[in-house]
Amino acid sequence: MNLIKSFFAGRKQEATPKLMTADEVEKNTAGEVSQSNTAPPSPSSSPPPPPVTVTTTPSSPSPNFPAVRRVLNIPTIAENVSPKVSDEVSIKAQPSPTGDQCLFAVNRTLMKGHSWYFSDFESATESSLAEALFCLDGVETVLVCESTVTVTRKDKTLVDWVPLAKQVGAGIRDALGTGKNLIAAAIVSKLPAEEEIREAIQKVIDTEVNPGVAGHGGNISLLAVKGNSVTIQMGGGCQGCSAADLTLKQGIHTSFRKAVPMVGAIFDETDHAAGLNPYFS
Amino acid sequence: MPRVNTFKVKVQTGRQGMTEPVHFNFNNHKLPFENVSGSAVAGEVFAGSFDVNSFAHSLTLVGPESGKWEIEKITVEYDCENEKPYTVNFGAVTLDETTEVNIWQDPPIVTFAV
Repeated sequence: MNLIKSFFAGRKQEATPKLMTADEVEKNTAGEVSQSNTAPPSPSSSPPPPPVTVTTTPSSPSPNFPAVRRVLNIPTIAENVSPKVSDEVSIKAQPSPTGDQCLFAVNRTLMKGHSWYFSDFESATESSLAEALFCLDGVETVLVCESTVTVTRKDKTLVDWVPLAKQVGAGIRDALGTGKNLIAAAIVSKLPAEEEIREAIQKVIDTEVNPGVAGHGGNISLLAVKGNSVTIQMGGGCQGCSAADLTLKQGIHTSFRKAVPMVGAIFDETDHAAGLNPYFS
Repeated sequence: MPRVNTFKVKVQTGRQGMTEPVHFNFNNHKLPFENVSGSAVAGEVFAGSFDVNSFAHSLTLVGPESGKWEIEKITVEYDCENEKPYTVNFGAVTLDETTEVNIWQDPPIVTFAV
């Protein structure tokens, strides 16, 4: 039994692909993703980068099994994800795989350094961007983060985002054109310090979230706080669990926003295909 | 995870190549490429493909049984069921008898201008 465990433990992914920032993309052109019918990569991405290797220690191979190899992961660079900077407002819609949300990437900064979650129309008062979007039928929540807007819609059964996405795009353009505050001045002036957010979120994790998921062998850890946006990682039984998305959106998000109303975006950096016992591997 | 019909690989070898047959691991099954052209010796481009017709859980390019294989670039063209064909370029990596490199990438998420 131990030999079998040893064999499969050795097959695990040794590292997770890294989400690269724009600066990192420029420095490391390790690879690029492109649709087959799109233009070829720009010349700036052509120089080969230094080798990217993962140097983690493999598990001891069993004498009864073939040698276990480490799986190396090379970062790839997604092209055309963010609209290019230009005088004209450019908005790209990207529905989530689950279909309940759609991310809109705008070539304008909407909220610099911070993010804000609008749970309903009342919370959008004096925030012209959110007000415009809540005027649309079907919009449930709005999350503004840097140059992106994430919209959740009420009807979770609909799959096609195109009709609503076009209305959202028009709403974002209208809000940008009015010259009013995209985010209410009262919100921006009351944004807490990162340390305050970190302490409050860590307290929620320690006292509420982790005791709850511990029953399923899971755990949640706080990876980073930037502005009022937090990044978490799921571990143990949560990593790769088929109910992880439900736990994240209905459990963790709710707990965080209830205890720390000033928290903005909540990112999950868990690689659900990696780990010792991943569901999807 | 999508069902992969076929995939094609092009591997640009750097300064240190190898003469062994090139293998890949699909869902932990080690297999040789079909429709092979070129080679994996230094400075050459190896090309190969495989008709998979199965769902992808993992896909890796396997390192040589001995020595090192210095790869400058890997280009993979995927043809998956119900998906538009897409191409992923991976950068430099060095493989040896203890390593393999992931060459599976999910189809890109659809985006559209609004």
